[in-house]
Amino acid sequence: MDSNVCQVYEDEIHSLEEEIKLLAEKYEDSQQESTFFSDEEILMSIKSFQRELRGESEGYESPSDLKAHLETLETDLSFLMKFTGIQFTSHSKKTLEKTRNRTVRKHRLSGNCHSLSFQLEFQLLEMQSKANVSAVITDLSIIMEPGGDSDLSKFVSSAEERGSLLTFFRSLSSYAEWYEHRRCTFLHFK
Amino acid sequence: VFAYLEMLELQAHEAAVKQEEKLLQEEKLARLKARVEELRLQRDELQAKVDLQEKRQLEKEGATSNPAQLNPQAVLQWKIKSLQAMLQVFYLTGIGGKLTRQGVCFCISTAYEGTYLDSYYLDLLTKSEVRIYRHSVPTFIPLKQIAKQYLQTDIRRFLSVLSDHLNAYVGRRYQADQLQEHFSDQIKGTLQRNSLCNLLVFNYNMSSKSKTFPFNVRLLYGDPCCSLPTEVIVSCKSDAPSSLTETATAHSDLFRRMPLHKAFRSFSSAGET
Repeated sequence: MDSNVCQVYEDEIHSLEEEIKLLAEKYEDSQQESTFFSDEEILMSIKSFQRELRGESEGYESPSDLKAHLETLETDLSFLMKFTGIQFTSHSKKTLEKTRNRTVRKHRLSGNCHSLSFQLEFQLLEMQSKANVSAVITDLSIIMEPGGDSDLSKFVSSAEERGSLLTFFRSLSSYAEWYEHRRCTFLHFK
Repeated sequence: VFAYLEMLELQAHEAAVKQEEKLLQEEKLARLKARVEELRLQRDELQAKVDLQEKRQLEKEGATSNPAQLNPQAVLQWKIKSLQAMLQVFYLTGIGGKLTRQGVCFCISTAYEGTYLDSYYLDLLTKSEVRIYRHSVPTFIPLKQIAKQYLQTDIRRFLSVLSDHLNAYVGRRYQADQLQEHFSDQIKGTLQRNSLCNLLVFNYNMSSKSKTFPFNVRLLYGDPCCSLPTEVIVSCKSDAPSSLTETATAHSDLFRRMPLHKAFRSFSSAGET
């Protein structure tokens, strides 16, 4: 009888620990998503950080580590944007649902590829099963600028219907290059 | 008399052990109970924090920077998380990666429509000529040939062609998997496929006038970068009624034009012919 009571307590401890972990993540996500700092504020923080005494930081990284980490990420990002030709100008996300196995986030993304610019909104559902994590796009909405081309609009609505975000991006850079080439050619003949 | 004394001693000893066990058990229970209460308190505090956060956000929609929180470390940590999120978005575009000491490590993601499937890694050395150091591309994908053709002259083209092969393979595999998952009752026997998933052979049942007839399908995907078949053979046995041969031709056409599981969905819902 006693061991049963023990088990009940242990089960509750386990479920409470999981609940706490989830709530902490929710809180962190929400803080991250509802905050925004401009580039000047970032620069100011770097400067004021360097003035602080070394080793006097709480948290996981020392001032120089943080700065180095920041620079690595910025270099990686700038490399990818230059390499793929896709420049993201803004990105925001909001966690709509978060449980142990399932997270739903709404993303807003804008950027350009050569002379074409895009604005995207979509929901990303991530599910954790025993074997792996799966990711599915729903509610995809794409706005292209300039959007007059009929082939492009057909392609865009087909991608929206099926949530084919990957196909959209894969085709975007080749289409943008072709578009740019055509635009230059026309200008040449004007 | 001694035996009696010994027995009493034994009994006393056993009673003492039992008493100690009971005490330990009670202590354990008390500890666990205290822990549960501690965690409950922690959970309730966190829940209150999250609820307050949500209430604040509903009151003022939109992101604002909080000047009271201009602790530089927090600001930098925010920026780091924000950049990491941006790098994650690149995975959704199909090509992600990071710079390494000797070159670049690329990650090619694949998807079927809105469902992201496997990712494949390529660790490239770029010091002198471009070389593939490590990768997770399966052996039945012609990586060597594609590399020979494009790697030195145009890395972007190399990745794009490789991505075409990988996405097509994953797309074919996904269709076969979906067929097995959702239409297993119509499929007779096992669905035979090769590792590249460009040759599929299976039997499925079609009914006519309450009799079922097996159809045999052979799908050949001649273009490795395409997830639709180039050759379709649908055949039924010679004793099948002629109306069924028409159906076979119609199905053959469907398989050529649309993904496998969608074709099955369309003639399953159309009812029996």
